[in-house]
Amino acid sequence: MFQQLPVILLIILLGAAFIVPLLGRKREWLAFILTAAVLFALFLGAIVLLFVVRYHGPFTYQLGNWPPPWGIELLVDYLAVYVLMILGTIAFLVMAYGARDLQHEIGTNVRHWYYSLYLLLLFAMSGMALTNDLFNLFVFMEISAIASCGIISIKEERRCAEAALKYLILSTLGSGCFLLAVAMLYMVTGNLNLQYVAGGLPAALSLYPYNILIALSLIIVGLGVKAALFPLHVWLPDAHSAAPTPSSAVLSALVIKIYAVAMVKIFAVFPAELFAVVPVLEIVLILSALAAVAGSVFAMLQDDIKKMLACSSIAQIGFVFMGIGFFEGQALIGGLLHIFNHAVIKAMLFLAAGLIIYATGIRRISEFRGLGMRLPLTMSAFVVGALAMVGIPGTSGFVSKWYLALGALESGKPFYIVVILLSSLLNGVYYFPIVITAFFGSEPQPSTERRDLPLSMLVPVLLLAAATIFFGFYPRPLVELLQQVLASQGLR
Amino acid sequence: MDTVFRLGDNLYYLAAMVLFIIGFHTMLTHANLIKKLLGMNIMETAIFLFFVATGYIRGGRAPIMQVGQDHLYVNPLPSALILTGIVVAVSITAYALSLIIRLYRHYGTLDANEIALLRAREDE
Amino acid sequence: MESSVYKFLPVFMVLFPICMSVVIFWVSRYSERLRNGLSVATTVVTFIAVAALYPPMAAGKVIAYTIFDILPGLGLSVRADILSFCLALISALVWMLVSIYSIDYMSHEHGTDRYYPIFIFVLGSCLGIFMAGDFFTLFVFFELMSLLSYVLVIHEETKEALRAGYKYLIMTIIGGLALFFAIVIVFELAGSVSLSEGTLVAVPSTMALLAFINFLIGFGMKAGMFPLHVWLPDAHPVAPSPASALLSGIMLKTGAYGLLRVIFTVFNIPLIQEARWDIIVLVLAVITILLGSAVALTQEDLKRRLAYSSVGQMGYVILGMVLFTERALIGDIFHIFSHALMKSTLFLAAGAIIWKTGLRNINDLHGIGRKMPLTMGAFTLAALAMIGIPPLNGFLSKLNLGMGALEAGAPVYLFVLLVSSLLNGLYYLPIIIAAFFGEAHGEDDHETETFKMSEATRGMVIPLCLLALSCLVFGLMPGNIFFELSRKAAAFLFLQGMP
Repeated sequence: MFQQLPVILLIILLGAAFIVPLLGRKREWLAFILTAAVLFALFLGAIVLLFVVRYHGPFTYQLGNWPPPWGIELLVDYLAVYVLMILGTIAFLVMAYGARDLQHEIGTNVRHWYYSLYLLLLFAMSGMALTNDLFNLFVFMEISAIASCGIISIKEERRCAEAALKYLILSTLGSGCFLLAVAMLYMVTGNLNLQYVAGGLPAALSLYPYNILIALSLIIVGLGVKAALFPLHVWLPDAHSAAPTPSSAVLSALVIKIYAVAMVKIFAVFPAELFAVVPVLEIVLILSALAAVAGSVFAMLQDDIKKMLACSSIAQIGFVFMGIGFFEGQALIGGLLHIFNHAVIKAMLFLAAGLIIYATGIRRISEFRGLGMRLPLTMSAFVVGALAMVGIPGTSGFVSKWYLALGALESGKPFYIVVILLSSLLNGVYYFPIVITAFFGSEPQPSTERRDLPLSMLVPVLLLAAATIFFGFYPRPLVELLQQVLASQGLR
Repeated sequence: MDTVFRLGDNLYYLAAMVLFIIGFHTMLTHANLIKKLLGMNIMETAIFLFFVATGYIRGGRAPIMQVGQDHLYVNPLPSALILTGIVVAVSITAYALSLIIRLYRHYGTLDANEIALLRAREDE
Repeated sequence: MESSVYKFLPVFMVLFPICMSVVIFWVSRYSERLRNGLSVATTVVTFIAVAALYPPMAAGKVIAYTIFDILPGLGLSVRADILSFCLALISALVWMLVSIYSIDYMSHEHGTDRYYPIFIFVLGSCLGIFMAGDFFTLFVFFELMSLLSYVLVIHEETKEALRAGYKYLIMTIIGGLALFFAIVIVFELAGSVSLSEGTLVAVPSTMALLAFINFLIGFGMKAGMFPLHVWLPDAHPVAPSPASALLSGIMLKTGAYGLLRVIFTVFNIPLIQEARWDIIVLVLAVITILLGSAVALTQEDLKRRLAYSSVGQMGYVILGMVLFTERALIGDIFHIFSHALMKSTLFLAAGAIIWKTGLRNINDLHGIGRKMPLTMGAFTLAALAMIGIPPLNGFLSKLNLGMGALEAGAPVYLFVLLVSSLLNGLYYLPIIIAAFFGEAHGEDDHETETFKMSEATRGMVIPLCLLALSCLVFGLMPGNIFFELSRKAAAFLFLQGMP
């Protein structure tokens, strides 16, 4: 009975994306309610799928009932469920926040289009999480690229258009590389279904090693551009900071991560001997280490709060890729766990920044003086985020760093712990001064938070902050789920 | 001599690679946004060509099955896929063009460097 | 029944102040008096809770259990043994007296609504460090305490305070990250970071050395060990005096406590001696002692001089733990007690002077002893104890440390102790002499001749005098309770460190 659920979720998302603009022309609130309901359905669906997978094991769904080598297959495994859950939760909370925030950021005439693009983006990302077919993955990637550029350029500012164009061009470059890689894999294996590709690769490896190597490097470049892996990150700071706040939150929290997930899915296909011979994983590791440090350095140089948060995402995606670079055991758990943790933390930080801009219009960090008194709850959430970014124990940021560090030791590369610590220190160097200027060294001011901020914006931020602390003390269910992910992917 | 023949056999792949590099180069080095977009399209076309070529079999026929005849057919799957790819490429091109129009309205130029300069000045 | 009460006590003494801090924060909106009263009551109750642990602790029992696992092998757990009891007892005692002192001292300060909840919360997290059953729990509370005391450091919110606070914060992060590194390595090597499993790492290796060094950085930073002491002389003087008393008197000791645990539980004595890691600590400790005392000489600001003196005194504590004789260890733990009492007395006295006269510079303190005899009397008593004059508690700890050094066959450390005591004398005695016998500047002669007392309020002087008297009592008293505790703790630790 639940066999149909994954495709139903996709259809609901896609269908709603078409219906919402029709509704929104007359009744905008109806469009919003439909959007929120669909996102909530995604969340619920993910939970149901989690239980289904837990009790019946991973299963596949054949679109249109075409059997695998030809038809498109959806694979509902632990990884897909994990990603779907993150997507549903964060997207719903961000949309709840967006109800009020969008009113002052984008025009009334395009708001229903925003909902539509948002749903389309979620459709594409859910599709990427579920699909088991390389070309289908490419199509979803392109949809996601257009939709994510769309939710940037929808704001009537010229720097949004510029940022979106830059993003679009580089993103197309990335998907071009990816498509070329898919072609090369198809050439040597004759299949697009990931399972069949995995079956064909060991034989193909001895016949056409160069094809596979080129494909692998193209995949790293292609997905690296889209996930903003250093040094392919150039588009990110502009795109994520110019966008309306809900878009920034979704882009930083979800969109760049989904490509990392795609990379995990594809890497799992390649035979392990290949990684033993070719230093692909080492390259990813080195890039991730550079990202973790360089991203933090970029962030230190920013004065615009949203730009700083965007740069910090470059560093944090470095941690995710570090886990992928080790591609085994605890480190991979750490990397995948950081997908969730960073999604929660960064979404919360972006929304908090959005609240500050909404209430005061201040974007520059140097003007934050006294904000802690005016917006105590928002800034407290920000403090939690800052602590989690540094990896103070008791916050979720600590747990992912703990696993990454354990994994680094397991693989006998303690150098990467130093990288993690250095990056954390730099995080502290730029996050804490914000908190300090906001809270200390100024005349006390009366709190105007209740008057300035609607509850529908404040509650998502506080929920995310609570989640940051909750999963700092109780990360067990997530870790257990990820252990099953690793087991089901045939990794240690 | 042998190499030349082998290259000749794989002419489509060779052409695709040459096109890909031309497109890639245009996209990254030209400052003019329209030219960037053209480069992007060339690059995509190259990939499509490459993909379709993987399904081509020398001497194969169009894959329309006729009962009782045993012909060699080309692989239809890549062509079908690339149809989707072309649709995606077209929509991205259209979207990029609309963005370029908007940028031109705002900045009065199509030169990416100039736009960056204007924006840097605006930020100060 | 009785044992279950004892089992519950460690959790209670940590959670009670933390919960109360929320209540105090909420109450402070309505009534200032209620807030102050609640703060004092909280510290008193906490002290009683700690003291109630005495019977099982003195009998040598260990209370240890896990509350819940966060990750496999990593969780929140409780462990109270004689060493943690010693530290908790002195912390709760000093905290209680300082909270009484705070009420009057802080009455003219701004931001007291922020001060009291944090003050109480830090007490909870400080006790949490001592009651932690594994390094993860310890780490959680350690970070909690370090980060929250930032608020105490920068309380005055002057530019100077903010700068010092920033330095403190960055050093705290560095220390925290080093601890993280060390704990990860120990976890990887031993599969556990619990304090209750005996020696965790018994084989020297590069990774073990790396862990040791990182522990040294993490805890040494907090304890003000050279070269990581740089934040201390800036951060301690800028804080309000009650907070400086706690920072110097108690919070430095959390670093020393961590190091004790590292040396005697994570590793063990034979390992450290064979691998010659103790050399690193010894050298750093000697430098810390001499540097702290020497630089204190050059300081003009009273509180800054006290802060540098703390650096020197923490050097003793760090030195004592790597001499590896039981007697040195007794002196070491007793010095933790003594220094907590002496330094908080000194800082509170300095605070009383600043509160009453606004004077911070030592050169301005001429004749202050005639104006504030009780305050300066307390100051004198504690300063003499600092130098190590016989019947006072400082003498007792130095005596044991020195004897321990001799037993360890390293008389050079005794010499270091003597030099440092001499330096202590050099920078404390002039203050006292000037205060009682010096001519006050800028006042008419006949006015200074007259004996005109103008003390700080009773609420400040009484805790101050109590602390000062305790310096005398715990040096002189036969059947000295703190000394007994130190002896038991030292024996306990020594047993643990000798597999």
